[in-house]
Amino acid sequence: MKKRLVLFFALLLALVTGFTALTTTANAATDNSLTKIEKKGTLVMGTSPDYPPYEFQATVHGKTKIVGMDVAVGQKIAKDMGVKLVVKSMSFDSLLVALQTGKVDMVISGMNPTPARRKNVDFTHTYYQGGYSIVINKSDKGIYKNKDSFVGKTIGAQTGSTMYNESKKQTSGTTVKGMTSVSDLILALQSHKIQGVAMEKPSAQAYVANNKELAAIPSDFNLSASDTSASVAFAKGSTALVNKANKSVDQIKKQNLVNKTYLPAAGKYLKTNTVNTSMFHYWKAFLTGVEYTLIITVCSVFFGFILGVLLSLARMDRGGVFKTALRWLATAYVEFIRGTPMMVQVMFVYFGLGLIVNLPALTSGIIAISLNSGAYVAEYIRGGINSVDNGQTEAARSLGMSSGATLRYVVLPQALKNIWPSLGNEFITLIKDSSIVSIIGVSELIFQSNIVRSDTYRGVAPIAVIMVLYFILTFTASRILNYFERRMQHD
Amino acid sequence: MTKPIIEVKDLAKNFGKNQVLKDITEQVTPGQVIVVIGPSGSGKSTFLRCLNLLETPTSGEVDFAGENLTTLDTKRVNELREQMGMVFQSFNLFPNMTVLENIKLAPMKVKHMDDATATKRAHELLKQVNLDDHADAFPASLSGGQAQRVAIARSLAMDPKVMLFDEPTSALDPEMVGEVLSVMQQLAEQGMTMVVVTHEMGFAKSVADRVWFMADGYIQENSTPDDFFSNPQTERAQDFLSKILM
Ligand SMILES: Nc1ncnc2c1ncn2[C@@H]1O[C@H](COP(=O)(O)OP(=O)(O)OP(=O)(O)O)[C@@H](O)[C@H]1O
Ligand SMILES: [Mg+2]
Repeated sequence: MKKRLVLFFALLLALVTGFTALTTTANAATDNSLTKIEKKGTLVMGTSPDYPPYEFQATVHGKTKIVGMDVAVGQKIAKDMGVKLVVKSMSFDSLLVALQTGKVDMVISGMNPTPARRKNVDFTHTYYQGGYSIVINKSDKGIYKNKDSFVGKTIGAQTGSTMYNESKKQTSGTTVKGMTSVSDLILALQSHKIQGVAMEKPSAQAYVANNKELAAIPSDFNLSASDTSASVAFAKGSTALVNKANKSVDQIKKQNLVNKTYLPAAGKYLKTNTVNTSMFHYWKAFLTGVEYTLIITVCSVFFGFILGVLLSLARMDRGGVFKTALRWLATAYVEFIRGTPMMVQVMFVYFGLGLIVNLPALTSGIIAISLNSGAYVAEYIRGGINSVDNGQTEAARSLGMSSGATLRYVVLPQALKNIWPSLGNEFITLIKDSSIVSIIGVSELIFQSNIVRSDTYRGVAPIAVIMVLYFILTFTASRILNYFERRMQHD
Repeated sequence: MTKPIIEVKDLAKNFGKNQVLKDITEQVTPGQVIVVIGPSGSGKSTFLRCLNLLETPTSGEVDFAGENLTTLDTKRVNELREQMGMVFQSFNLFPNMTVLENIKLAPMKVKHMDDATATKRAHELLKQVNLDDHADAFPASLSGGQAQRVAIARSLAMDPKVMLFDEPTSALDPEMVGEVLSVMQQLAEQGMTMVVVTHEMGFAKSVADRVWFMADGYIQENSTPDDFFSNPQTERAQDFLSKILM
């Protein structure tokens, strides 16, 4: 009892300090932002690495790593602060949330310092002034001249990006289709689902240089400087940090480092990337994906099962006020989890819980999926326990076994046998559903396939590969489950 | 007179508004074989289940070896239940375990007996009920008579001081009743204290020390089998006997 109380207070304390820390960083403590980074010794940069040449994944000496001109900018900033740069990848949509919740210290991802974004984060001076192009199929080169040629057609742009918003605003009679990743957009372009993709000039050049089927045309968007420039974003109120970073950014601009050094270097990576675009060349990336998918699934099944057992017991326990409250809570939990999408739960654990404790993406993913799976497993187990004849319990109790021992040695083994097929289904479902954690940047199969796609500029092949891989995983799993099911058949 | 092992004092049990047991005060002394008979629904099972607290009495007392079960904590009740074996009409063998495992489970998990000792003891008990050749069979492959004998062996494995039987032969095909009753008779001859709910009047006549006749929530008569069958005192018992002996 005492222990539980201590734990409770520790949690409460963590909550309170978490929130105070939050409010203080937002208001007063402007000047410890830099000191904090210096003390920590690392500067964590968030980026969405599917936007060459700004940022993308490249295989260097057999290892995948995130490269590009933005990474070079980040390195320069970190070096000038005297700390180490850590690059964290996630989807573009998640970047600013990650910044606000302290998952990352800064965001460099070809991000335009628009007024809307300025409300939520602080930007440095711009380190690069770009412009927009529209990538089209080379065969259409005569048809489209600029943004106004797409009347009755569809233009694609990365969801949440400036291009997306401007394309919507500045075209009429044109449908604008948003997708999360540029590689998906290119694929849509090549399969003629859309007729053009709006993206920044350097990216457009990179795609055109690497894919003979594509061509770039000027966009002729009417844009303010803030819409075409890229800046580094920091959390709101971290003035000291921004000032320090501005010194590096100013140097970059003065010495024209982006055009002279960073872009050519990025271009080289692009070349090594596209030399060998066979899927076999990327087996390591896929292997990592399989590994993480399995880690997430197995851990989540394990913890989900334990949680499920506890929840189902809480739901079935009758008795005093305490047990009634517990039963009510467990029921509410199960209903709530089953009534909300897993994707929202994953984001809530990563970003929401992240306000209190800083959890890595993989841990957050496992926690979220375990919490989710526990609710479903609880219902299976409750059904399973109810399906065991009450005479079994009575026989065990009459032999002097405690209620715990009865449950563990007599009821649960039989319940488990009865619900094994449902549990098996849950396991198979989890293998597939674990893909949801790709949105918070865990390198499971879907995430890895997206990286391979933007690496190789090949849209379909990586999808086919992971489809086969998923099938091998689920098929093997179901064989193993069947084997155990057969072994449990005695009657 | 020897000290009673089971003492029931003013026992009453209600299920909601249904007063099943109204006021029962009786004793069982060590070595006694009690046969409880009575019409269907009269509360015989309920009474038996109150003795090892599978049902919680509404009021009154059940003393086992001098301890009032209704006042004890769960842990102590569990310990005392070890000493009261119970055999059910529907056997209630654990279907996911072999015969041997069924018998070994409680000694190993409750008494923490080591595997070798438990196995040895289980084989002895199986010999006692003439089923040692079925040690590795699963319950589903046994006949009813065999299953009930395994259930008896399973209870005996805890070395109980008292055995409770709730209509152990009622679910059996007639040709299998004998094999179970003869095991029970042997047990009685070895001096086991037994409380048996049954409709087998032959068993009551030849094995019981006392017959308790239960009806309307009371033990209406408590007498020797000879007295009960030849000279029932209450009208209720006369009526009951005339129906079943015809
Ligand atoms: N768990 C329970 N909840 C509610 N009522 C019950 C419960 N168990 C028994 N009863 C009721 O108590 C009464 C006595 O039942 P009990 O099983 O003890 O009778 P019995 O003498 O053993 O009958 P039988 O010869 O049919 O086995 C019946 O009316 C029965 O419906
Ligand atoms: Mg009965």
